[in-house]
Amino acid sequence: MSQSEPPGGIFGLSYDGETSIFETLKLISTAIIVLVGAWPIYWVTQLAFTEYETVEEAVTYFPTPDIFTLGNFVVLTQPRMYTYIFNTVVVAIGTIVTVVLVSLIAGYGLARLEFPQKENFARILLIGYLFSPIVIGIPLYQIWRSIGLLGTRIGLIIALSAISMPFAVWLMWKYIMTIPEAHEEAAWVDGASRWRGFRDVVVPQCRPAIIAAALFAFALAWNDFTFAQILLPQTDTTTFAPGILRAMGQAQFLPDAYLMAISLAMTLPPLLFAYFMQSYLLKGFQVRAL
Amino acid sequence: MAGETGETIRPRREFIPWDDLPVERETVVGIGTVLPVVVLYLLIAVLPIAFAFWASLHNVHTLNPVWEWAGLDNYREVMNISTFWGSLWRGIVYMVGSTLLQLAVGLWMALVLNRVTRGQKLLTAVVFTAYLIPTIIVSLIALRVFDPQGGVFQMIGAEWLSLWEAREAPLGSQTWAMPLLILIGSWKFSVFITIFTLAQLRAIPNRFYEAAKVCGANRWQMFRDITFPRIMGIILVVVLLRSIFMFNKFDIIWQLTQGGPGNATTTLPVLAYKTVYTDQAYGLANAISVVMFLFLFVAAVAYFKLFNPSDEVETTT
Repeated sequence: MSQSEPPGGIFGLSYDGETSIFETLKLISTAIIVLVGAWPIYWVTQLAFTEYETVEEAVTYFPTPDIFTLGNFVVLTQPRMYTYIFNTVVVAIGTIVTVVLVSLIAGYGLARLEFPQKENFARILLIGYLFSPIVIGIPLYQIWRSIGLLGTRIGLIIALSAISMPFAVWLMWKYIMTIPEAHEEAAWVDGASRWRGFRDVVVPQCRPAIIAAALFAFALAWNDFTFAQILLPQTDTTTFAPGILRAMGQAQFLPDAYLMAISLAMTLPPLLFAYFMQSYLLKGFQVRAL
Repeated sequence: MAGETGETIRPRREFIPWDDLPVERETVVGIGTVLPVVVLYLLIAVLPIAFAFWASLHNVHTLNPVWEWAGLDNYREVMNISTFWGSLWRGIVYMVGSTLLQLAVGLWMALVLNRVTRGQKLLTAVVFTAYLIPTIIVSLIALRVFDPQGGVFQMIGAEWLSLWEAREAPLGSQTWAMPLLILIGSWKFSVFITIFTLAQLRAIPNRFYEAAKVCGANRWQMFRDITFPRIMGIILVVVLLRSIFMFNKFDIIWQLTQGGPGNATTTLPVLAYKTVYTDQAYGLANAISVVMFLFLFVAAVAYFKLFNPSDEVETTT
C-alpha cells in the first residue's frame, strides 16, 4: 500500500495491519470450514473402504492396505437396498421434471401476462411453507389411501413437487422479470408465436433459474424422509431414507461399514451436483427481489 | 415490463373470437399458466388442511376408518395433554436455537467463501454438499460418532472434555440430547443460509469496494455500508424460512432420538406423529396439526408486520 492510503483501519490499525489480520482470520476460518465440512465426508469414505470387522472393533483413521476393501459395496447389490436407491432416483427425477415444467410455465405467466389477483396468488403460495410436512402428511395418508395413491411413487412425487413448488415459482417469476421483454418482442415481430417466443427466447435464458429450481427440488426429494415414511408404508416401494431406518430396525446385524458404503453412494450425486452446478445455482439465486 | 406499444406487436392467431368475449385472451392464457400450480396447491395444501380440520373434529382410530363426531373435544384435549405445552416449548427452543446458530454460521461461511481465493470452487462444493445429502445420512453419521461403542465424538467428549461419562450415550441423555440435535441440524442447514447469502454477495460489483477504498473506508465500514445493506433483505427472508422449517422439523429429530429420552426432544411434529402411530388417535393428531399451523400462521404474520421482509427486499432492487 502506498503512503497516500489514509490511516483509519479498524481499532486504529494501519491499512496493512488490518489487511494482515483480515487475511489471518480468513485463513483460520477456511481451515475450520474445511475441517467441519469435509470431515464427515472423509469419515464416511474411509469407513466405506475399510473391512467391516475392523470398523466394528477399532477406531480407524485411514484404510491402510491391510484393511482396505471394496467388499462393503456389495451391500448396494442387495435387492432391498437396490430397490430403495432405485425408488429414490425415480422419485427425485420425477420431482425435478414436474417442478421445473410447472414452475417455468407459471413463472412465465406471472412475469409476462396480466391477470387479476396475480400478486395475491403469489403471496398465498408462500403460505404453503407454513405447512409442516407432518401437518400435510397426516391428512394426506387418508386422502392418498382413498384415491389409491398410497404406497405409489407417483403419490410421493406429487407431494414433493407441491412442496418445492411455491419457491420454484417465485424464483422463475423473479428471474424471468430480469430478462428484457424486448427479446421476445423481437421474436414476435419476426412472426413467432407466444409459445415459440417462450420456448426459443425465454427458456434458454432461464438456465440458471432452472438449475437452481432443479437443485432445490433435488435436495428436497433426495432428502425426504417424512413424506416417504408416511406415504410409502410398505417396505418394497419405499425410498432410501425410511427404508434404511427400517432395515436397521429389522436387521440383526447391519455392519457400520456397509452403512457408510451406502451413504457414500448416496452422497456422490449431491457432491457432483454441487461441484459442477454451483455457478449456475448461485446465479439463479442472485435474483434481487426474491 | 410491457408498455402500451408492446400490446400492438403481440402475436395473435384468431382461432377464437377473443374480441367478442368478455375476457381478454391474455387473462385466459395467464390463468392457464398458473393452473397446474393451483391444482397441485389445492391437492397438497388446501385439501389436507381442510381434511385435517374436519378430522380434528372427530374421534378417529388410525387403523379403523370410523369417524365419530367429537366437536371441539380434541382441541380441549390438546390443551390438556401434559406433553403439549412442553412440546411447544421444546419446539420453540429448538427453533430459536437452531435459527440463531445457523444464521451466525451460515453468514460467516458465506463471507469467508466469498473471499477465499484458492480452491474456492471445491470448498464451496464441499459446503453445499452438506445441504444436499440426505438427512438420514447425517443422522447415521451422527449416531455413529456419538455412539458409546467407539464413537469418535463420544470419546472426545468423554475423555478430553469430560462432558459426559465414558459409557454414556450423549444422544440418550436428558442434558445433551437437545443441544446436540441443534448442533447436528445446524451442520446441515446452515448451508441453506450460506447459499442465499453467497448468491447476494457475488452480485455486489467489486467497484463499490474499490470506490470505498479510495474514499478511505476501512473493512468494517465497507461491510456496514456496502455488504450489509445488500444482504439485509435476503437475511430477513431466510431467517423467516429457516424458523418455519426448524419449527416444522420432524425427520432429523425422529431419526436421531425419536423424541427421547423421555420427552426431552419431543417437539410438536414429533408429538403429532407419535399420536397417530403410537396412540392411534388420528383425530387428536390432526387437532395438534391444526394448532401447529395456526401457531405458525400467527407467528409469520407478526414477523411480516414487524420486519416486512418482502418490503425490505423490494427496496434493494
